[in-house]
Amino acid sequence: MAFEPVLTRNVGKPEVRSVRGYRAAGGYQALAKGLAMAPEEVVEEVKKSGLRGRGGAGFPCGVKWGFIPRGSDQPKYLVANADESEPGTFKDRLLMEHDPHQVLEGSILCCYAVGAHTCYIYIRGEYVEAAQILEAAIRDAYQEGILGDSVMGSGFLLDIHLHRGAGAYICGEETGMLESLEGKRGQPRIKPPFPAVVGAFGCPTVINNVETLANVPHIIERGADWYRSIGTDERNTGPKLYAVSGHVARPGTYETAIGIPFSELLELAGGMDRGRELKAFIPGGASAPILPAAQRDIALDFDTLAKAGSMLGSAAVIVMDDTTCLVRAVERLAQFFNHESCGQCTPCREGTNWMDLVLGRIERGEGRPEDPQLLLDLCGHIAGHSLCPLGDAAVGPVKSLVERFRDEVDAHIRDGRCPLPRRPYFQPEGSP
Amino acid sequence: MPKVTINGRTVEVAAGTNLIEAGLEVGVQIPHYCYHPRLSVVGQCRMCLVQVALDGKVMPKPQAACSTQVMKDGMEVRTDVPEVAEAQKGMMEFFLINHPLDCPICDQAGECGLQDYSFKHGQAFSRFRFEDKRTYPAKERIPLGPHVLLNMNRCIQCTRCVRFTEEITGTGELGFFERGARTEIGIFPGKPLANPLSTCVVDLCPVGALTSTRFRFAERVWYLDKKPSLCTGCDVGCNITLEHRTGAIRRYKPRLNPEVNDYWMCDHGRGSHERYGELPRLAAPRVRRDGGTAGAGWKEALDEVDRQLRLAATDGGGAAFLGSGFLTNEEAYLLAEIAEVIGSPHRGVWVEPGPDRTIPNLHGGVTGREAAPNRRGAQLVGLVPGPDGLDAAALLRGEGLGQCKVLVVADSDFGGPAHDPEAVARLRQVPFLVVLGWADTPLAQAADVALPVATHAEKDGTFVNCQWRVQRFEGAFPPPGQARPGVAVLGDLLGRHNPQWAGLGTAQVFARLAGEIAPFAGLRFEGIPVTGAVLEVAAADREPPG
Repeated sequence: MAFEPVLTRNVGKPEVRSVRGYRAAGGYQALAKGLAMAPEEVVEEVKKSGLRGRGGAGFPCGVKWGFIPRGSDQPKYLVANADESEPGTFKDRLLMEHDPHQVLEGSILCCYAVGAHTCYIYIRGEYVEAAQILEAAIRDAYQEGILGDSVMGSGFLLDIHLHRGAGAYICGEETGMLESLEGKRGQPRIKPPFPAVVGAFGCPTVINNVETLANVPHIIERGADWYRSIGTDERNTGPKLYAVSGHVARPGTYETAIGIPFSELLELAGGMDRGRELKAFIPGGASAPILPAAQRDIALDFDTLAKAGSMLGSAAVIVMDDTTCLVRAVERLAQFFNHESCGQCTPCREGTNWMDLVLGRIERGEGRPEDPQLLLDLCGHIAGHSLCPLGDAAVGPVKSLVERFRDEVDAHIRDGRCPLPRRPYFQPEGSP
Repeated sequence: MPKVTINGRTVEVAAGTNLIEAGLEVGVQIPHYCYHPRLSVVGQCRMCLVQVALDGKVMPKPQAACSTQVMKDGMEVRTDVPEVAEAQKGMMEFFLINHPLDCPICDQAGECGLQDYSFKHGQAFSRFRFEDKRTYPAKERIPLGPHVLLNMNRCIQCTRCVRFTEEITGTGELGFFERGARTEIGIFPGKPLANPLSTCVVDLCPVGALTSTRFRFAERVWYLDKKPSLCTGCDVGCNITLEHRTGAIRRYKPRLNPEVNDYWMCDHGRGSHERYGELPRLAAPRVRRDGGTAGAGWKEALDEVDRQLRLAATDGGGAAFLGSGFLTNEEAYLLAEIAEVIGSPHRGVWVEPGPDRTIPNLHGGVTGREAAPNRRGAQLVGLVPGPDGLDAAALLRGEGLGQCKVLVVADSDFGGPAHDPEAVARLRQVPFLVVLGWADTPLAQAADVALPVATHAEKDGTFVNCQWRVQRFEGAFPPPGQARPGVAVLGDLLGRHNPQWAGLGTAQVFARLAGEIAPFAGLRFEGIPVTGAVLEVAAADREPPG
């Protein structure tokens, strides 16, 4: 059965960027339905759907909403995480640029469900176009009575503010984002307390990824049972956006049921570029451990990938062919994490820097026989010891490189040079 | 209260106690850099990772002890397992890879957190041999303010200093700049670290990144002898550790007293010992005769003072006694006792007003407003004018001195008047001027008999601070030359009238004054608690005449 797009059904229809157009395409019906339900029922429905967070950690969305204390006098907040900066990831951008009201509708439903009257959309600073489109959509929604003193005449008050970040990867980490939102230096907080208890401005706060929120209207409109019918099993449900990049014929964002095998996704993306051989792939963004080509039939869902020693993460699938030097590729990722470490905690600040330096040496042909073990030790000293998940993220690609592609690392060290010819990152079509 | 078990030792702690504090209860030291009991918990250094089990289930990742609180029974903590040792070893390696390891030229060496924990938890070799260390060019000696210098290469980014200026002084001069491995501490343009407590960041800095411009290169710390003492900079009475090398004071460091100065002290107080080096020292008794002054033995000098005092008492005219806020309670008590024996009502304590100096503590803070530590104590023990007596201000104005035969000024450096030629001339109107003190000031030079006594670093005693808290201190080293503690000198003088006062030690004098002066009743010198004892003083006695 061919998959019928859910989240991306309005992609390529510029008219849905207005409230009028979005309504004409069937939008805001879920909101009307949701507002007629009790907030607890909305939470319950989302719980039943099995929707798991699409930002990377895969935490059950309804459970997260359930952590928000009810009946307290404190204000509550929703912060929509649109700080999409994991290398390889560009799925939220598509949603925000093509169907901004779907994101708003999901956000409004979430606010209604948890009793928040203020929502911040924290958008990555580089997403200028998406920010402009969302800004216009928010303005339109206020004019049409979708936002403001009485959402669609229900008496529910809601303000949505768009907040542009300044380009730090760490501000995509939920507590780093809260600090940044509050006007402070973007660096993560220690947990507990969790944001559901002490979040933005010291108040209970839900933080959801844009794609997660975009799923909500469909769950409310078509029911949790329909939603659960999509996907591999009970714990991996719903439609999923896969951002495919690298050496494929047609890179782009593809929506399928969650859990599509990698090989099928590769076919959707037109197969390998220029018919080359698959060497390895990263299934979930820069922080996911690399998988070898032999794993090509693996189902891309939360649990299968976790079992295989990787993760679904942000579902940014980076495909690498046999012309790729993996040491160089991982060095490049290590550079990223070194650059983006906030510098707050020791293992991440010093460890990501050191890993970057060691990988650089190996790639330049100055590796030493003890380096692979050194890298593994560094990974062990960073993973699980850092203050926030960035340390674990930085370890992902490095550890998998040494453990799964040891031959390639050893070849660099033994021969004193990179065995593969150095190529520019982007090779124009037709170049040798 | 919940129970927690650390390395097999169980202790009951208040709910919310973190594991570092709980560990101290059972004698387990958990290494840490960024944690400080008075600063917010940030869990940044990751040095305090421990293994935590809840209800028998070991948590998969080691937890930061500083940010893990004991909330209910059933928490079991281990710091002696290989996982924790490995984490600590890894962290020490991270701290040191980019550290310059310039201990031989670093002021912190000998009291450095990196040295201590390297020895305990680190390893003796480096695997960081084929990469270049990160440096912060041109940031090896940046003055952050008048008292603090930053060497960014040594910094371990614990942010204690940043949090101190944010949370304790509320001035927020320091911040974290840049990011990742390039993260650095700095000040904002045009806003130097110039708050009155600024040098506290040097104490807080666990490494040699922040050093004190006062102490920098003055001494290797392992040559310092340390003695608990009190600051004499104002009437807060900050508890300090006096650090000296063979009698040369090198620095004051705050010593914890939660009731007074907590962990802090002000920059003014830290520099207050410099006065001992700035003024010439009075090293031997000096007696004026035949129009000039000459050195004399103690017996000769004291005999002369005693003779003059007796003459004043019997021939009429009387004597006057001017003390200062730098006298200990015991010295002031003996001086008042002499006045009593002579029958003189003219006694007073001179203290100069100082700017307000506030030291924050958990109860809000203590504010000192006087330039000397013990005006209150000296007055309590008897240095107040008797009926028709002259007070300190009147004596300094020269009133009635024409009729007096003898003036005894105890403390040659009691304030501005001791150095002001006009004020000295007014005091000099008296036919016979006796000055006790450590400094050879213009006042001491004008005296008929100048008696060298110990500084507060060289004697024992007690002070009463602005909270009416009596605090004890002990001498750190003996006085130089022929100088003697004031208690010995005054006791000698008093002993000539009544032998039972001769040769008393400070503790014995304190015992006598405690028996006589009501607010001190029941106190013993050795029994004064380390945090001091608050005296109950009636409101009327708090500000006596004068």
